[in-house]
Amino acid sequence: MKYSESHEWIRTEDRTGLATVGVTDYAQRELGDIVYVELPIVGKAIQANKEAAVLESTKAAADVYSPVSGTIVEVNTRLSESPELINNSAENEGWIFKIKLTDASELDKLMDNTAYNRITKHKT
Amino acid sequence: MKTPLYDRHLALGAKMVDFCGWEMPLHYQSIVQEHLAVRSHVGIFDVSHMGRILVHGPDAESFLDYLSTNLITGKKDYSAIYTVWSTPEGGCVDDVIIYKQDKYHFFVIVNACNRHKDLQHLQDESESFDVYIEDRFAEDGILAIQGPEADNVIKTIFPAACDLEQMHFMPLKYDQEDIILSRTGYTGSGGFEIYAQGRNIVNLWDSLLKNGAPFGIVPVGLGARDTLRLEMGYALYGHEINDKIAANESVASWTIKWDKPNFLGKAALETLERSNNKRHEHGAILLDPGVARSECLVFKNGKEIGIVTSGSYSPILNKSIAIVLLSETVKNDDIIDIQIRQKMCKAKIVKLPFPRKL
Repeated sequence: MKYSESHEWIRTEDRTGLATVGVTDYAQRELGDIVYVELPIVGKAIQANKEAAVLESTKAAADVYSPVSGTIVEVNTRLSESPELINNSAENEGWIFKIKLTDASELDKLMDNTAYNRITKHKT
Repeated sequence: MKTPLYDRHLALGAKMVDFCGWEMPLHYQSIVQEHLAVRSHVGIFDVSHMGRILVHGPDAESFLDYLSTNLITGKKDYSAIYTVWSTPEGGCVDDVIIYKQDKYHFFVIVNACNRHKDLQHLQDESESFDVYIEDRFAEDGILAIQGPEADNVIKTIFPAACDLEQMHFMPLKYDQEDIILSRTGYTGSGGFEIYAQGRNIVNLWDSLLKNGAPFGIVPVGLGARDTLRLEMGYALYGHEINDKIAANESVASWTIKWDKPNFLGKAALETLERSNNKRHEHGAILLDPGVARSECLVFKNGKEIGIVTSGSYSPILNKSIAIVLLSETVKNDDIIDIQIRQKMCKAKIVKLPFPRKL
């Protein structure tokens, strides 16, 4: 699992260049109760660090950026009915979309767990 | 600035936020859970960022009546009156609660963001009145205990509180010092507010949390305070009312007593009332998924007709709700479009408060 500075996680599923993206547990705690998720459209091509989804909490709206470039192949439709899955299980059941990577080397630019924990620790 | 309860909020793990210069708790746990706790049981709020201003003197009553859209003259002793203060041009200075001890002794609770402006307003307008004005900003702390179990919690310390009528208050002693207990609030779920000196506020907070535990009391932050008031359709200064929105355009229009001989801003409000330029505020429930936020544009049949003044999610309805300020006449059940980012979302005009029954 790799992490972005904007608090997304990405998990590569297999060697076919497919990866799952969500927001980190730190992000869901900062956002508070998620009440609505605007999911990306399946089939859409997206650039790294561009807005892919929107999370609406009781406090505010927050953009979710795609950590990598690629094509959206699947979205977590359960979030439409149960946006709170992100609060309950941000890094597992609360995944947001699956993406087919165009350039796997983009993963190297992201943080590993140790590096990500370092940037969130001084904020909490 | 910090309230006397700042250390308590940190110890409870609150997420702190700057609110008009005050470091306040936004939430301790989940805003939705805190909201629902107030609706079903009871919550305790630190609202020490609000300001108390004393207005005493022979002309205190006529002075406050002159400033207020609502009627102050002749109200019962120990009653509390919600009112708007209008500018001469018809905008809103603030919305406040005026507490009458007797004809010569009043105090006013004003919004945190408007403390100094309101104090200045009182001083500026008082020239031809014999009144003495003094703020209690440095000394006071304020608590709110809100929810259906609020009486049970309060009577563990103040048994006399249960006799208090709606929108009334009483002076009491706590630890040999004067405090004020009032049956007022900003949640729609009933309850009390307490005005006391900082040290007593900390002791009261601790005691009420402890005594309230069997009744399910939870500390509640500004996040749920906002969703609770929005669900009830109550105005928040800077949103539903401000210096560019007139009282008679707002959800607080009911405060205006047109048959009062005079009050500051009355002529401007009357002119607006007769004109075709008067806007109206309404409740709206989103029919499409999404959450409307303040400043979102509102359309009807493709024509821009207004803006969202407040928007959030209602935990009671499990729907997105908003208050909209519209330049065109609409009726309940009319459909409008609210632009959320690039998307048009359908919404229905509804009667306030949003929950028809709590």
